[in-house]
Amino acid sequence: MLQIKNLHAGVEDKAILKGIDLTVNAGEVHAIMGPNGSGKSTLASILAGKSGYDVTKGTVRFQGKDLLDLGPEERAGEGLFLAFQYPVEIPGVSSTYFLRAAINAVRRYRGEPEMDASTFMKLVREKMEQLDLDPSLLNRSVNEGFSGGEKKRNEIFQLAVLQPKLAVLDETDSGLDIDALKVVAHGVNALRSPERAIVVVTHYQRLLNFIVPDFVHVLVDGRIVRSGGKELALELEERGYGEIENVAGAGV
Amino acid sequence: MIGAPEKAHSLVAAHAALEPSLAAMGPATLRELRRNALAEFVRLGFPGPKHEEWKYTHVRALEETEFAPAYGAKVDRNNLKGTVGGLALFTLAFVNGERAPELDQPQALPDGVFVGSLADAFDRIPRILERFLARQAGIADGKLGSHLDMPFVRLNEAYMAEGAVVSVPSGVQVEAPIHLLFVSKAGAMPFAAHPRVLIVVEEGASATVIESYLGHGGTYFTNCVTEVAVGQGATLEHVRLQQETLEAFHLGATQVHQAGGSTYTSNAVSFGGRLARHDLGVRIEGERTETLLNGAYVGMGDQLVDNHTRIDHAKPNCNSFEVYKGILGGRATGVFNGKIFVYQDAQKTDAKQTNQALLLSREASVNTKPQLEIFADDVKCTHGATVGQIREDALFYLRSRGLGKAEAEAMLVFAFAAEVLEKISVRAYADLLEQTLFAKLEKER
Ligand SMILES: Nc1ncnc2c1ncn2[C@@H]1O[C@H](COP(=O)(O)OP(=O)(O)OP(=O)(O)O)[C@@H](O)[C@H]1O
Ligand SMILES: [Mg+2]
Repeated sequence: MLQIKNLHAGVEDKAILKGIDLTVNAGEVHAIMGPNGSGKSTLASILAGKSGYDVTKGTVRFQGKDLLDLGPEERAGEGLFLAFQYPVEIPGVSSTYFLRAAINAVRRYRGEPEMDASTFMKLVREKMEQLDLDPSLLNRSVNEGFSGGEKKRNEIFQLAVLQPKLAVLDETDSGLDIDALKVVAHGVNALRSPERAIVVVTHYQRLLNFIVPDFVHVLVDGRIVRSGGKELALELEERGYGEIENVAGAGV
Repeated sequence: MIGAPEKAHSLVAAHAALEPSLAAMGPATLRELRRNALAEFVRLGFPGPKHEEWKYTHVRALEETEFAPAYGAKVDRNNLKGTVGGLALFTLAFVNGERAPELDQPQALPDGVFVGSLADAFDRIPRILERFLARQAGIADGKLGSHLDMPFVRLNEAYMAEGAVVSVPSGVQVEAPIHLLFVSKAGAMPFAAHPRVLIVVEEGASATVIESYLGHGGTYFTNCVTEVAVGQGATLEHVRLQQETLEAFHLGATQVHQAGGSTYTSNAVSFGGRLARHDLGVRIEGERTETLLNGAYVGMGDQLVDNHTRIDHAKPNCNSFEVYKGILGGRATGVFNGKIFVYQDAQKTDAKQTNQALLLSREASVNTKPQLEIFADDVKCTHGATVGQIREDALFYLRSRGLGKAEAEAMLVFAFAAEVLEKISVRAYADLLEQTLFAKLEKER
């Protein structure tokens, strides 16, 4: 589904990603862990098509297409979804209006008919309930004045409504209390299917107890220095990144 | 200039020929008023860039255009479909400044309410005209001056004959909005029209009045003046739309007088015009009033859009709240000047002014000048001005959810203007403005 090969990227003359290789197949869940500033959000942003980064080397293919060639909206249309580490507040744009426009934009991209109002409202209500979100949030502007936890749950709510093929969750767990964490994890797990894939960026093993990954990767200073199964996360929790780095360094 | 008689500008020269027909309208005193006003316009001349109030708004192109007096034109009702002229509202219509009853949409009004032409008003409510007409816009207010003491108001007065009058007597609540529709349509020859509007809402009465200036083709000059008197404890929502053609000149002045305990809301939207300016002045002459000025303006291409506002807080315990939002693309220029005067005995004044502009292109620009002059000591006055671009992070967020760039941008621009458009209580009207805004943004791409 997603093939990242030798991806180098940065801003101006600062290199951030220094050769990322990662393959994600349908049905898989991958976790990416790594210290602050190692490039996790940069990787997620580049996948979603945020401008401002220069890709200097490497390729990214998604469902057989050159992902880097597509605009952010086309990537969404192809089935990519990024749950933001810091969801953006957009005063004046109503959440409902935005969500409906997003659903229909994606449907149009796929050549499907627009969703009628009642189907939309039903879908929205169902997913809000599933994510234990206060329906009154929908009457407010996108993320405006939402609490940290509400913003994160709102991202997963959008994910649930938009049903993408590949979801990249950037630290969706940070700032969530334990109950909210379970709710969010439940929302993500509900999406798991043989046709979909999920990439979870996180600092904590805790989330991975609920969303159990098939693979764990450790990103340090723009490179994936180790990959393993779910037990790698436990090891990290115990030993920290320092030792992993040393091990990785020693291996080079 | 004595001894070197210059050829008079067409806007002045036309007066002589029109005087006999103007004279037929209204009482004899008006004739003198017109003549004096013309002399005053000639004396003041076209304001140049050195004139503080016209520093960024240059009228040279106006000065260099030759205008014929407004001539009759017919506009088919069907052509107004999809515009504010096509809405099912009580409507009093004008085409090129002249009454156009064929475009009216009459409805029953409460007893005593008058909505009609200036000519009819002279016959039917002469007392009201005597009390209010050319009183509001005419004042020159001692030391602080009146911004309406300006050349084009005089020019309008010089031609004062056609226009609309709304008069709501004491205690009457008019539920249905009253729409004053001014459609303009020019042929090969540019024309000038000088419509006059008078709105009087007397003690304890309430009304919603919409003033629409709608362009229907060609180059012309709308030089309009609106006078508003809001009586003791009265309430008026005053919507104003300027949607002239992109070749048109539009200079409009609105002067409002508020008596004690009254509430005046102005929702002023400006879309059209090659050169469009609106001067809005509110004089607060009684205590415990509320004044809400909401403005939204859009300029694209080579448009120049100027909004001058002025609030005179002459009495204590009054609140004013002002928000103006500008959207400028292409090579358009925006001008905003917001004056707030707090007089010496206007203690406990609470005045807040916000002015924000969104620039959609590199070549677009805005000149903003808040101007607070406070002569009382126990007051709360704030102002804030921001100029910015569309937020990249918000644009990316929307696009990452599948919205195309154009759609996402329109959504953000729209959100910016929404705060103002939402204030218009006439839903059908506001909805149409929202659509017009969308269309204008689309066209810009
Ligand atoms: N637009 C940018 N301009 C300049 N530097 C940037 C930009 N984006 C990222 N960086 C830098 O690149 C590095 C990686 O940042 P990134 O946000 O990807 O880290 P991260 O792994 O997500 O960290 P965290 O765990 O703290 O979220 C940091 O040093 C950051 O300051
Ligand atoms: Mg990050």
